[in-house]
Amino acid sequence: MSTTMERGYAIDELRACVISRDFVDGERVFLGANVNIGRAAVLLAHRLRGPNMKIMLGLSWTNMVDERSVGLHPDSTDFRDARWAECYVNLDTMINSYRFFSTTFVISALQVDRFGNSNLIGLGDSHKTPRLRGPGAIGSVSSTAYCDRFYITPPRHVKEIFVERCDFISSVGWHQGGATARTDLGLPGGGPRFCVTPLCVFDFEDETKAMRLRSVHPGHTVDEVIENTGFEVIVPDEVPETEPPRPEELELLRKSIDTRGLLREGR
Amino acid sequence: MSVAAGFRADVLATPAEIVAEIKPGATVGIGGLMNTCHPMPLVRELIRQGIGDLHVVGLASGLEVDMLIAAGLVQRVSTPTVSAETIQAIAPAFRRAAQAGEIEVWECDEGMIYAALQAAAQRVSFAPWPVGMGASYPEVNDGMELIESPYTGRPVIAIRAIPVDFAFIHCARSDPFGNIQVNGGGFGDRAMARAARRVFATVDRLVGNHEIRRDPQSTAIPGVDAVVHAPYGSHPFASPGHYIHDEAHLREYLAAGNALLRDNDRGPVEAYFDRWVRGPESHFDYLEAVGIAQVCGLDEGLHYHDLALVPGEAE
Repeated sequence: MSTTMERGYAIDELRACVISRDFVDGERVFLGANVNIGRAAVLLAHRLRGPNMKIMLGLSWTNMVDERSVGLHPDSTDFRDARWAECYVNLDTMINSYRFFSTTFVISALQVDRFGNSNLIGLGDSHKTPRLRGPGAIGSVSSTAYCDRFYITPPRHVKEIFVERCDFISSVGWHQGGATARTDLGLPGGGPRFCVTPLCVFDFEDETKAMRLRSVHPGHTVDEVIENTGFEVIVPDEVPETEPPRPEELELLRKSIDTRGLLREGR
Repeated sequence: MSVAAGFRADVLATPAEIVAEIKPGATVGIGGLMNTCHPMPLVRELIRQGIGDLHVVGLASGLEVDMLIAAGLVQRVSTPTVSAETIQAIAPAFRRAAQAGEIEVWECDEGMIYAALQAAAQRVSFAPWPVGMGASYPEVNDGMELIESPYTGRPVIAIRAIPVDFAFIHCARSDPFGNIQVNGGGFGDRAMARAARRVFATVDRLVGNHEIRRDPQSTAIPGVDAVVHAPYGSHPFASPGHYIHDEAHLREYLAAGNALLRDNDRGPVEAYFDRWVRGPESHFDYLEAVGIAQVCGLDEGLHYHDLALVPGEAE
């Protein structure tokens, strides 16, 4: 596996760029807790092609397209990041708000299955005595349910995370599969769009809504993905290489958005 | 306090006076969010007085709830997380106690906890929440039944109300009469206060009533039951508009909590409590133990541009 030095970019920088390129101008987006890839992706899109995006940063709504150097703080509650506030966020009213919910969301996961159901609750057979107590969902159940689409970014691509069946499910993806899975359950929102791993990008096949290989990151192979995934992956005949970070993306990330280098540290 | 007839009575109190009201088994809500804005003089007083069997309610709890768990005072937690966010995603005593089955965890996300608090505020037994179907929540929890809407027949989750006996919050300022003002959005503290029978606040600044009247639009809660004058009262956590979190201190607690998690060694946690909780007799003694230069060095204005690159320094 090539290193950050050899490639010229960290894998989490690439992951932020992939998600960022899927955003469009005019979106309003919550930056969730403890998902640095998502925070970087949103700000990158805002600065490169989204002058009319609204960002929830530091528990405030803001537009910071004219800010040269953001110097994002790691914690979602950091009030220093509210210095661009156009409106402070009162969380209980924001969650109960049809008009002002996030259009999209980025989450991490302890486990994820082939239909994009994911787990932040814990590992093990029993919720009363889990083998690993997870962090809990924070706002991710509601955020991933209400938004138009969401992205899953597990920390590693290994069989222990990409599992046949999650021990618990916090965010529902396409449940047991099929294009009507979410509406059948009564869920609002549009479901998972991509799962962006350290090896590849998955999307979800239209009919079954099972994970399908969309692209493999430079330096990695289809076989590597299959070997490290605990369920059967849909592999199209042609699998392109993921486009690496463009120079303007990397420059903006490092000089303005991720000045502390959290993505390069894999945090 | 004693008040002459005809004068408005203030609601100032000490942490000891407030915590004397809390009985074992009470439901105590603690405001703030992860590394920010927790009423620490009240949390430390709970540990000092050893009020146990608590049902602790949080809005996305930080290490303040972990300390209560480490002190053995918690029977049940209802909160979307117990986390030091980017410093350590899963709080150590919470993780240990949950894995050992020593605490009950009511599994929820922020939408669900606000639904439970809203139901309590409305004095009804549940609130509907249209999210969580297909996930584990109805299965692993009591108090989350799947029902059909009487109007559309569509499924929703009926989230049982969580009536809060006592809400503890930390805020920017208050007058002596408990008119609470916040800097920023105030997290979900208003929702916690609406669901509670009694609301107690620690405040960074105690101001005159005239200062509240100058800006009544900033008043978030129009009268809590008691106010504790507590400058730097959220330390080691941040308080918006006043100071940032004390990361070194949080890491000192985490090192102690991680020894409990990994080695089942209570020594470091007890040493932390002896030094920072049981040792100082008052909040001001606590601040003296932290040190005036250390605590004032956390003032937000000193740290606004910590992470912005100076032009020309970029690689």
